Amino acid sequence: MASFDGKRLSGIQRQLHSHLPSDPALRVKSLESLLVDKGYLDSGAVDAWVEIYSEQVGPKNGAAVVARAWCDPAFKARLLADGTAAVAEFDFVGRHNAKIVAVENKPEVHNLVVCTLCSCYPLALLGVPPTWYKANEYRARAVREPRAVLAEFCVVLPPGVKVRVWDSTSEARYFVLPQRPDGTEDLDEAALAALVTRNAMIGTALVQAPGEEKEA
Amino acid sequence: MDGMHDLGGAEGFGPIDRSHEDEPFHEAWEGRMFAMAAAMARPADWTIDWFRYARECARPIDYMTLGYFDQWAKAYETLWVDCGLLTIGELEAGKSLRPAQPLAPPLRAEDIRGKAHHPPNPLRPDAAKPAFATGAAVRCKTSGHSGHTRLPSYARGKPGVIQAYYGPQLLPDAAAAGQERAEPLYSVLFKARHLWPEATASEDEVCLDLWESYLEPV
Repeated sequence: MASFDGKRLSGIQRQLHSHLPSDPALRVKSLESLLVDKGYLDSGAVDAWVEIYSEQVGPKNGAAVVARAWCDPAFKARLLADGTAAVAEFDFVGRHNAKIVAVENKPEVHNLVVCTLCSCYPLALLGVPPTWYKANEYRARAVREPRAVLAEFCVVLPPGVKVRVWDSTSEARYFVLPQRPDGTEDLDEAALAALVTRNAMIGTALVQAPGEEKEA
Repeated sequence: MDGMHDLGGAEGFGPIDRSHEDEPFHEAWEGRMFAMAAAMARPADWTIDWFRYARECARPIDYMTLGYFDQWAKAYETLWVDCGLLTIGELEAGKSLRPAQPLAPPLRAEDIRGKAHHPPNPLRPDAAKPAFATGAAVRCKTSGHSGHTRLPSYARGKPGVIQAYYGPQLLPDAAAAGQERAEPLYSVLFKARHLWPEATASEDEVCLDLWESYLEPV
């Protein structure tokens, strides 16, 4: 039974600090051996999970969703009305997100996603978050000075474009539906998907047409 | 909880370090920790909110300075010691020194490969009816409490507008205390100029997902 007692947790954290090595590689190796020894963990499942998140689940999932929304107005309407159901049409492997919300960039509004309290992220669509997304700097600054954060990512918005920041405080997982760049009318869905970066779906990049300068 | 984790709007932080941003894991142990968290057997009373609370209860200096997956490792070590699944002596030894607790079996590779993995679902569609309509003016309550909550300090006491109703979801404050209680959840829109003293001329906005008990009518 869990204690559900925060003071007790803090006390255990301090005990662990004085008893266990500080090197996380050693501690994690020891934790895995112990969990397997206890029968609480199957190392083959750990291998499979690492393999899936290194090779199969990543921003290409989200990019496929974005490209379809650009090509298929009916799909785009479904995505904006119920992101969870629209994404379920894709049959992605990996972890399912209980609720997915797509937020659409428009000429007058640019969306940016953050989790100020921890690291909530649309894992099923974008895979493992980049370290900067989980870093204290991004979490502290994105809600208060989003334009300064965007400038660090070389995104400078024209005057009159509003920034809307989404702080992921619940189990809803946000991702940005970027604007389709001009000059891509002849590209098919697969070619469009190749243009969509992870950062564009977090909101820290715009999607560039082929031949345009790459994001910094 | 008024802790180091409640970072939204905190000042004094510098540039965002974007090195290695395209590698899912920088070192192999990080991938192992991430995967262990997904694959291991869990006690029946485990919740994601209890895990988040364990991270928040880290030593403040650890919260601010340790790597992300190192903090995960510390949180899981703490949770498993708390409920008696493991002892600190076993963690030191890296092997079992006493009988295991009976848990449901852990996931196997074949459970994971080639299909979606569904963590516990926090949505409770029929659990409650919303008190606030879309477009309603609301204000966040000013008082937090000492346990886990998902009302960030920067929004306390601030006025906003209900922009969408998401249906009932399990209340994190209750889940982190071992109780199952669903409440209506809303997307609430705040003007940046109502949140930050220097943003008086800003048209920018911040949206938060907030449970009904975090809000009061204006």
